[in-house]
Amino acid sequence: MIQKFISLQWKEFIRSSSFQKGVAIKVLLFIAAAYIGGMAIIAGAGLYLGIKKMIPGIDPMLVVNSFIIFWFMADLLIRYFMQQMPVMNIKPLMTIPIKQKTVIHFLLGKSVISFFNLLPLLVAIPYCVTAYINGNYPLLNILFWLLSIIVITLSLNFLNVLVNKSNTVFYITATLLVSIVACQYFGIYNIAQHAGMVFYGLYMNPYYIVIPIAILAILYYANFNYLNNRFYLDSAISKKVKEVNTSDLSWLDRFGSMATFLKNDVRMIWRNKRPRQVVIMSFLFLFYGVLFFTNKLYNDMPAFLAFASIFITAGFLFSFGQLVPSWDSEHYKMMMSQNIPYRQYLESKWYLMVIAVVISFVLSTPYIYFGWDKYAMIAAGASFNIGINSFVTLFGGALNRVPIKLNERAKAFSNTQGFNPTQLLIALPKLLLPVLLFWLPYYLANYNVNAGIITLAVSGVVGLVFRNYFLTQIENVYQKGKYKTVAAFDEK
Amino acid sequence: MISINNISKKYGQNTVLQIDKLDIPKGQSFGLVGNNGAGKTTLFSLLLDLIQPTTGYIKSKSIKVHESEAWKPFTSSFIDESFLIGYLTPEEYFYFIGDLRGQNKSDVDALLAQFEDFFHGEILNQKKYLRDLSKGNQKKAGIVASFIGNPEIIILDEPFANLDPTTQIRLKGIIKKLSEDKKVTVLVSSHDLMHVTEVSDRIVVLNKGLVVKDIVKSEATLKELEAFFAGSAVEAALEEE
Repeated sequence: MIQKFISLQWKEFIRSSSFQKGVAIKVLLFIAAAYIGGMAIIAGAGLYLGIKKMIPGIDPMLVVNSFIIFWFMADLLIRYFMQQMPVMNIKPLMTIPIKQKTVIHFLLGKSVISFFNLLPLLVAIPYCVTAYINGNYPLLNILFWLLSIIVITLSLNFLNVLVNKSNTVFYITATLLVSIVACQYFGIYNIAQHAGMVFYGLYMNPYYIVIPIAILAILYYANFNYLNNRFYLDSAISKKVKEVNTSDLSWLDRFGSMATFLKNDVRMIWRNKRPRQVVIMSFLFLFYGVLFFTNKLYNDMPAFLAFASIFITAGFLFSFGQLVPSWDSEHYKMMMSQNIPYRQYLESKWYLMVIAVVISFVLSTPYIYFGWDKYAMIAAGASFNIGINSFVTLFGGALNRVPIKLNERAKAFSNTQGFNPTQLLIALPKLLLPVLLFWLPYYLANYNVNAGIITLAVSGVVGLVFRNYFLTQIENVYQKGKYKTVAAFDEK
Repeated sequence: MISINNISKKYGQNTVLQIDKLDIPKGQSFGLVGNNGAGKTTLFSLLLDLIQPTTGYIKSKSIKVHESEAWKPFTSSFIDESFLIGYLTPEEYFYFIGDLRGQNKSDVDALLAQFEDFFHGEILNQKKYLRDLSKGNQKKAGIVASFIGNPEIIILDEPFANLDPTTQIRLKGIIKKLSEDKKVTVLVSSHDLMHVTEVSDRIVVLNKGLVVKDIVKSEATLKELEAFFAGSAVEAALEEE
């Protein structure tokens, strides 16, 4: 039976439309995966010697163990946002004589095969190997410690499945995590230290491994039970039907004829998983500047600061904008045959992005802390984003014909949705052009930062002046690709 | 109202539609029948400029549909569920379509009130998103949405499929009423010969992309159609042997 399932899954994988896309994407994805994997191995291998060098006199194993709790917490957090839940089309299996338990075991087993479960191994194994070679550790202890880490990683995997499925588990886990971080941060209780002792204990006493194994077993059993009790069409498998929350969006009416579309887009973002994910991501972009502004190294290289400034206000613009027609892929035929001029459709998306840049800019006010010059740079970046990048992004969207399932999270690493080489090429000018526009005048004006800021800001204003021309050009590109887009979105 | 000229659609070597000339006058209620793969949806998609014709053109009120967007204000359609916006409630969707067609909230409400029977209490005030409605109820919402904004051409692909018997009968009544005053041109496709003959003034049969029958409805129409499709079933059976 299991072989049959595996062959079904294999067919699902190789026959899925996303797999049958261009070779270029596959190569790129492979490179990306290899890169991340390679970095993980290097990090793992360098960890032991690195700690030994930086913190001499303390056993690196102690240091690693005291930080490992944060690793696991981050792991869980990333999983929650990125990991795709195991799904299998079990509807056709329900009426044929297969044991329900077999299906559930298979489903749960399948969730183990994930990049998120591999990644910790890629760090932990090289670490253990280098530690064993360079340090004076007993093989048995190291081996069992490694095993414990693997078992805990798997436990997180199953915990995440539960967190995703059950609201109760979600709230309990979230409260726990938040209180742990709060306790640590406000110095109420030193979790790191105590957790460190626990993990170090796992290393010191190999037979402690029964504890993580027991946790894993409990979580697996909980998952199994949860699914077993809900193995009906109307519960676990089918999507939950949530009661709607309608909110009054009439404040958007001030945007005139655009209001209809803006309201629709706001609802789209609010009510679907995928766009919500994008909004959260773009919120994180706001903090991009902190990385650069706090680093002394970059303070002497304003071109890098300009780069960061662009990013601060462009989060939504980039992540939402590059998928512009795809957001409407589920009902694109209607959009194309309803009484909507293409121009108006594009303009409404443009307004949405501009509003997002303005909101990001307002939210970036605290950056004044780093100095008015930095804030001026962010303002210039926002101007550039509104005047130039918004159009470049919309233009790039025309070349993107990947349908999106709105109410499904993006799959991490196996996700080719809205990711293609053309997008990559379009992304380059979005980032390099502003840096060049900043750096060239800055260089010519004898390293005067203001020259760069002014050029950047003015270029945005100039872009706005040509708004109608740009929109007309973009509309033409969209019109030309219309049939192809309709056909591509129809495939699903 | 609509004139189809020398239109054809080919995918590679495969011709899926080939119509030399077909005119649909204003106010006609036009029925399209044919087996699977006969080209019904292809024809409707061409009418809505959703696919590119290989040759020829379609004029709607003397506007070439693939050259101008000016046909959109007076044309409305419901082809499949991708015409619905899944994350909206039915009410929000109706108001959205209303906005697009220059109808304010009370206009839309007035129109919806006429369809209370048709909705059967399963569409409005359900606190559900369209994506969570059953197929049949989605169809009801989509069909009614295509009546918003006084369109002159209404295109409905397989409107009877997935509907319960009561709703089918109500829908027939609605379409008949629409065509009575000869202002709206209604195009309906269906697999149900009885339904389609009941609501149409004229019936066109497509077979493998070609118009094989073009008949004005009379008493004998249903018999004629049944004979044709029974015949082609025999034909297909013979071919298989």
